[in-house]
Amino acid sequence: MGKLKKMAVGVLCASMLLGCVGCGDSKETAGETIVLRILENDTAKKEGYLDALLEAFNAEYKDKGIQAVDANMDEYTDLAANGPYGYGPDVIYQANDKLMTYAEDKHILPIDVESLDCYSVTPEAAWEAFKINIDGTTYTCGIPVNIQEPMLFYRLDMMPEDWESNWDKDGNKVADFFENWNDLYAYSKYLRDTDTSANGDSQYGFMSSLNNLYLNGEFLFSYGAYVFGSNDDGTLNAADIGLSAGDAAKGLMAMKQMASLMNEGCIDDTIIMKRYEKLADGSYFCVVSTPDTYSLFIEKLALAYEAEGLSAKEAEEKAKENLMMIELPGKLPADGDLTKSSDAMTEDDWIDTVVMGGVNGYGISSYTKYKDACMEFVNFATSYEMIQTRMNTLGIAPTRSDVAEASGGVTDMIFESLSEGRIYLMPSIKAVDQIWVPAQSLMGDIAKDPYREAAGELGKYVTIGQLEEAIEKVDQDIYDAIFTLKD
Amino acid sequence: MSKKIDSVVTHMILIAVCLVFVFPILWLVLASFSKSGSIYDIDGFFPSEFSFNSYHKLFVDTAMYDYPNWLQNTLYVAFFSSLIGTVLVILTAYTISRFTFKSRKMLMKSTLVLSMFPSFMGMTAVYLMMVNFGLINQLWSLILIYAAGAPMGYLVQKGYFDTISNTIYEAARIDGASNFTIFVKVTLPLAKPMLVYTALTQFAWPWSDFILPNLLLKNKDLWTVAVGLTHLGETEFTRFAAGAVFIAVPIVALYFALSRFLVVGVSQGAVKE
Repeated sequence: MGKLKKMAVGVLCASMLLGCVGCGDSKETAGETIVLRILENDTAKKEGYLDALLEAFNAEYKDKGIQAVDANMDEYTDLAANGPYGYGPDVIYQANDKLMTYAEDKHILPIDVESLDCYSVTPEAAWEAFKINIDGTTYTCGIPVNIQEPMLFYRLDMMPEDWESNWDKDGNKVADFFENWNDLYAYSKYLRDTDTSANGDSQYGFMSSLNNLYLNGEFLFSYGAYVFGSNDDGTLNAADIGLSAGDAAKGLMAMKQMASLMNEGCIDDTIIMKRYEKLADGSYFCVVSTPDTYSLFIEKLALAYEAEGLSAKEAEEKAKENLMMIELPGKLPADGDLTKSSDAMTEDDWIDTVVMGGVNGYGISSYTKYKDACMEFVNFATSYEMIQTRMNTLGIAPTRSDVAEASGGVTDMIFESLSEGRIYLMPSIKAVDQIWVPAQSLMGDIAKDPYREAAGELGKYVTIGQLEEAIEKVDQDIYDAIFTLKD
Repeated sequence: MSKKIDSVVTHMILIAVCLVFVFPILWLVLASFSKSGSIYDIDGFFPSEFSFNSYHKLFVDTAMYDYPNWLQNTLYVAFFSSLIGTVLVILTAYTISRFTFKSRKMLMKSTLVLSMFPSFMGMTAVYLMMVNFGLINQLWSLILIYAAGAPMGYLVQKGYFDTISNTIYEAARIDGASNFTIFVKVTLPLAKPMLVYTALTQFAWPWSDFILPNLLLKNKDLWTVAVGLTHLGETEFTRFAAGAVFIAVPIVALYFALSRFLVVGVSQGAVKE
C-alpha cells in the first residue's frame, strides 16, 4: 500500500511540475522593458491594423523601454471581471457606453487629456462622450478614436438604370431615395410591387432589423426623443427618460410603414444576420449596418462575383468598386407619414434625420502598473499618422478633424454629422444598459404589426395614441429597471 | 401476419427515430462542406455548392482563429486529465471495493449525493480559488479540476471490481503478494476493459467541455476548441461546422477502435455477481 501511495503522489507531483514548465506571466517585465497589453477589436486585428500599430509603436519606443503587445483576449472581454485579478489588458479599445460603464465603477482611469496631441483637433462632442461627473468634478476617462453610426450599404451595380431620370428630381446627381425617407419608401414599394418571383421574396428595398434601437434610432431621435435628460449642471439624469418625448410616436408610425415593405425578418435579428449575403445576392437593395462591418460586406460581395466567374482578385476589386457606404437619408417627414409623395412636400414638411451613434476610443485600465507608459501608447495611437492608417485600413470615420478633413467624402460627412448634432451619442452612464431590452421589445412588436394585419388579425398600433401609450410604457419600464432595485 | 406487421411498424419507428438523431449530424457535416461561409447562403436544407474551403481555412487561416492551437490545447488538457483522472478513479474504486474501513458507507453515500449536484454550481468558488492559486490562464488548472473531480464517478469501476472473485485475491495473498502487488499484477490485468472505459470517459469530458475553459482561460492562445468555436465571427458558420466535425473525429475513432473494451467495461461494471 505504501508503494501505491508513493506512486500516486509521484504522478501528481510530476504533473504539477510539468504544469509549471512554460508558465509565465505575460505582464512581467523583461529586464527594464515595460510590456503593455493592448486590447483592440477583432476587425483591427483581422485587417492587420493592430500589427501595424504595435510595430510602429515598438519601433518608436524601443529605446525608451516600452513594448506594446496584443492582449490576445476576446474583444468584449469584461474588464470588471478580469481586471481586479490582474488578467485584464492595460489599454482597452471600446465604445463610449461600455468604457464609461467601466469608468462609473472605477475600472478605468481618468486621463489628463489636454496633454494629448489629439486634444485640440478632436471635437468637444467626442470628448463629452467620455466625461463623467463624480462629486461635482468632471473627469475624462477615454480618448476618442472614431465615430460609429448606422450607415446605409448598397451596391452601385444594383442602382435602377433610370435613377437619374426618374429618381433624381432635383438633378443633384444623388438619388432621391438616398436623400429622403419618403422616396426610399417609394422605391422600396416599387421593388416589392414588381417582385415577380414565385415566393415574392427576391427583391426588397430598404432593409433593417427594426427591433434594434441603435440601428433604427432615427425613428425616435429625429422626432425629439432622447434617452436621458440633463441635470442643471449638465450631467445626465437617469430618472428623466425621454424615449416618448416630442413626436416619437410619429416616428414609430413611420417605422411601422417601413416594416410593411420588408419581411418578418425585421421583427428580430434575422435581417442583421443575413445582411451580408442578401446584399451580395441582390435580394436587398440597401441595408443598415455600421462602418466596421464594411470588410464583411466586401468579403461576401467578392464571393458572389467569384461565383459569377471572376477571379478572386477581380472579384475583390469589383466588390470595392460597387459597395457603397453612405449616411442614412437626411430627411424624414415631420408628420411621420412615409407614404406621402415627396413631390407634394415643402421644406417645412421635413425634419432632419438624427441617428443614434457612438464614439469608440481608448481607455486605460485602473489595474495597470504603467499608467504613464499607457498614456504614451494612447498618445501614439491617436496621432495623425496612426489614425490616418486606421482610417485607410479599416474604413472608420475618425474623430480627429484634421484626418477627416484630409480624407473628405463619407468620413468627413460623418465627422460633420457629429459636430452638427445629427448623431445622438449613446449616453455614457451605466443606466444605459437598461434601455435596450424594453425598447427592443416594443420596436419589434411595432414592426410585427403589418404582419398581424396581413394575417387578418387586429393591429396593436393603429393610431398615434396607441403608439404614444406604448412608448410611454417603455419609459416607465426603463425607469423601473434602473431604480427598483437601486435602493 | 400480426408478427410481420409488428416488425414493420417497429422498424419504421426505429428508422424515424434514427433519422431524427442522424439528420442534425448529417446537416452539420454537409454544412461544413458548404462553399460559402455563412448559414444564410444555404437555401433549403442543404448547401448547393460544396468545397473543402472551410477545412482549409480552419488549418491555414489562423491569424484570428487559431484552430490548430486550440486543438493542441484541447488534446493536452484531455490527455493529462484522462491520465491522472483514470489513476484516481481506479484507485478510488478499488479501495472502496476491496477494503472495509471506518466511514466507508458514509463516504459512498456522500459521494453519491455530491455527484448529483451539477458541476457548474461551484464555478464561482472554483474561479476564486484558481485566482488565489494564480492558476487562471493555465491549462494545468483545467487538468487539476477535471482530475480532482473524476473520482466522484467511481461507481461503475467499483461495480466492476466487485465482480472479480474474492478467491483470486485470497490465492494471491496466500502466495505472499502485498496489496500493491495484488493491485498491479492481479487486478489491473483483469480490469483492462474497465481501464479503457475509464480512460475514454475521462478523455471525452475535457475534450468537449466549454464552461470551465471559458471561465479560466482568458488568453486566446490558450483557448480549447469548444471555447474558440463559440468566438467565431457571425459570418463563419461553416468554419464552425467544420471545426465541430473535426473535433468529433478523434473521439469517434477512439470509440470505434476501443468499442470492444468499452462494451465489456460498461456491461460488467453494471452487474454485481
